[in-house]
Amino acid sequence: MNDYQYDNQTVKLFIFSSIVWGVIGILAGVWVSIQMWNPAFQIPPYFTFGRLRVVHTNILAFGLVLGTLMGMFYYIVMRLCKIPLIFPKLARLTLYLFNIGIFLGLVTLLSGKTQALEYAEFEWPIDIAVVILWVIFATVIFGTIIKRKEQQMYISLWFMIATIIVIAVIYVVNNLSIPVGLLKSYHLFAGLNSANVQWWYGHNAVGAELTMAVLALFYYFLPKSTGLPIYSHRLSIVAFWSLVFAYMWTGAHHLIYSPIPDWIQTTAIAFTLFLIAPSWGSVVNGYYTISSDWSKMRTNYLTKFFLLAIVFYGLQTLQGPIQGLRTVNQLIKYTDWVPGHVHMGVMGWDALVLVAAIYYVIPKLYRTEIYSIKIANTHFWLVVIGQLIFSITMWVAGIQQGVMWQATSPDGSLMYTFSESVSASIPFWKMRTLGGIIFTVGMLFFIYNIYMTVRKAKKPATVSLEIQEVKA
Amino acid sequence: MANEEIDNIEKFEAKETSKKLPRGWLILFIGLIVWGVYYIAAYTPAISGWSQEKAYEESLKK
Amino acid sequence: MKRGIYSKPVLFAVVAAVVILIGTIVVVFIPMLTPQMHVKLENLKPYTALQLAGRDVYMSEGCHYCHTQTVRPLKAEVMRYGEFSKAGEFAYDHPFLWGTKRTGPDLARIGGKYPDAWHYAHLENSRNFFPDSNMPSYAWLKNNRLNPAQIERSMRALGFPYTAEEIAALDGKTQMDALVAYLQVIGTAVTARAIAPKIDVAPEDKNPFAGDPKFIAKGKTLYDVHCLMCHGVDGKGVAGLAPSVADNIWLDKEGDVTDGVIYIITANGTTAGMEIAGRTAKGGMPPFGAAMSRQEIWALVTYMRSLQK
Repeated sequence: MNDYQYDNQTVKLFIFSSIVWGVIGILAGVWVSIQMWNPAFQIPPYFTFGRLRVVHTNILAFGLVLGTLMGMFYYIVMRLCKIPLIFPKLARLTLYLFNIGIFLGLVTLLSGKTQALEYAEFEWPIDIAVVILWVIFATVIFGTIIKRKEQQMYISLWFMIATIIVIAVIYVVNNLSIPVGLLKSYHLFAGLNSANVQWWYGHNAVGAELTMAVLALFYYFLPKSTGLPIYSHRLSIVAFWSLVFAYMWTGAHHLIYSPIPDWIQTTAIAFTLFLIAPSWGSVVNGYYTISSDWSKMRTNYLTKFFLLAIVFYGLQTLQGPIQGLRTVNQLIKYTDWVPGHVHMGVMGWDALVLVAAIYYVIPKLYRTEIYSIKIANTHFWLVVIGQLIFSITMWVAGIQQGVMWQATSPDGSLMYTFSESVSASIPFWKMRTLGGIIFTVGMLFFIYNIYMTVRKAKKPATVSLEIQEVKA
Repeated sequence: MANEEIDNIEKFEAKETSKKLPRGWLILFIGLIVWGVYYIAAYTPAISGWSQEKAYEESLKK
Repeated sequence: MKRGIYSKPVLFAVVAAVVILIGTIVVVFIPMLTPQMHVKLENLKPYTALQLAGRDVYMSEGCHYCHTQTVRPLKAEVMRYGEFSKAGEFAYDHPFLWGTKRTGPDLARIGGKYPDAWHYAHLENSRNFFPDSNMPSYAWLKNNRLNPAQIERSMRALGFPYTAEEIAALDGKTQMDALVAYLQVIGTAVTARAIAPKIDVAPEDKNPFAGDPKFIAKGKTLYDVHCLMCHGVDGKGVAGLAPSVADNIWLDKEGDVTDGVIYIITANGTTAGMEIAGRTAKGGMPPFGAAMSRQEIWALVTYMRSLQK
């Protein structure tokens, strides 16, 4: 029995700190969404749109998502390898490093200290801390996998290994910079190379963190929480290898119609379209797994999280490649369509898998049941509705902007000024804020549910402790 | 002490369907590779002569 | 299935790394070594100390999250913003600032498009120009002094040429001054706004289209595109930026500005201290001689005259 004494405390603390960062990141998101239609809503210089937007994206991508993923990787790797973490103290160290890094990131970004590269805004000293963090994290994960007691590595472990490698490579290369002060540096690359490297990084950061790593969780928690086995092992293999191969070619689809050489753009587009296949490999695998027993939808409240997540993942990985086609790209690029696309992925796919994983893990770690399935269901519907309002309004706004920017009068001149397209977008931006608020309320239900679950689990223990003290 | 669940990965994967590749999906997979080869050939200046700049100049003539 | 790569983690990691690196090498690393990724336009110059300081402000405040700096080779886009972006324009950009979203308009051709005074007024409150603008006010940049020593370190690190006087001149300048200087240089290595030779006299003594309603309409369209930004709606002027063109008063003196003089000012622009029509100009108006044809300038004059009645 003692063989399976896992280091659960680190996992718990990772989840809790991520939730705290998540609240900050989501509130920053609501705030910037209001600034879009009410420019008076700023407190210069720290809380202006240009700085808060970066706080929103970084604190959510790194604080909420990466933190949860690190905790979940630890959780999963121990169970799939059937041993405790091989270096539990190092694992605990990553928790502290992670929180210090995110805190410093938050403060420096609000102070306008930024590398000005999307999702790589943290200045060089924080980057160095992140690299150290990642090396330690990789050591713990790889070490545990190498020492494992289960011969076979399950799919989730493949995706974890790939995630760690991809993030290591892209993070180091894109953050190469020329420091000129403690919190000031310039990208080592210039012009076209700067753009090409940055979007190779930007796209694969999304690919590794928000796709591969979340798939690792999906492939683990779907069968664990529903008891349904994954439909096809062979499909997982083909989908995995084609996904990790093709992803790395596609960064330049962020640079279509830019001065980047045509061949790089064209190659990126071709591989982007190809990505539909491996992505849908996971969609098909997930869908067939759930559809093997529909009764789980009634009997297990987490099944719908996974089902909707994989549906949004499917839509996302179809919409994304189509956006890469030159004719479509002409219309929607630079418009609000793109934030609409991104948010379907993060709010519809990533957030649903992550919260389902937390709903599964927390009661397990505290040896209890979830506080309220009813609240979990309310949470579910609020985040789904909030996300749909958000994404759909942004798609409509984006198409409207694209059309207005291109429209010409019969005499050949442009039909609308830019500011007319801004005026026409305001109602959509207000709707987006509404969607965001509904989503936020949903997340508050989630946090309350987790908090009550932990409290419920802790209570009997404290009571008995008190009794003991009285007796003594 | 810790009465942890032991993961048995044999239970994670269905036996009877483990070797299946759904046909529709396989067609999609191969189809996209074929299309990708065509697309690269058609839109790479060194292969087909197409270029972004030429396409722009064409659009001005309309 | 029991053996093979899925039970050998080290081998698995090595194979995965190789698979991941193939695409990376082909589309990212190899291009770095090729000249097509290092082109530089002949008249592209490194940033001056003040411009670089302005670029730092642009990055720090996240301007690139709402403004792009790439004009795509698409018909409507070139009409709206100007010549499409060229590969050779960005050789000194560490990092590139092309952006991903146009919450505000593209800025790839903003350099020289408006006078400095317009940028100061617009950064202070963009809603004076566009009532629905959602851009934050950046008036507070006027209160932040530059740090010459820091900028000198940056210039040295990037290998941009500079002089001691140039660095000394930064003393007392604000972040706003620097930002405007940067905005005014963006895209100027390509700039479609070629400067036409200055003219001394208008091509005709009198406006050949005076009073023609067709030309009044045409002039209004041109005015809204080129002039409204500084001279305001219906030519009413913008305080502190540009005078009214609707009142036949220029530089506090009424009348005696003939159609020919308006033509010349429109074509040449104004420079501070320039003598014209018995007045000394304050300067700051950009020249439109290259951007507009003779007929178009006359149409503008026709429209402005129609406002004065």
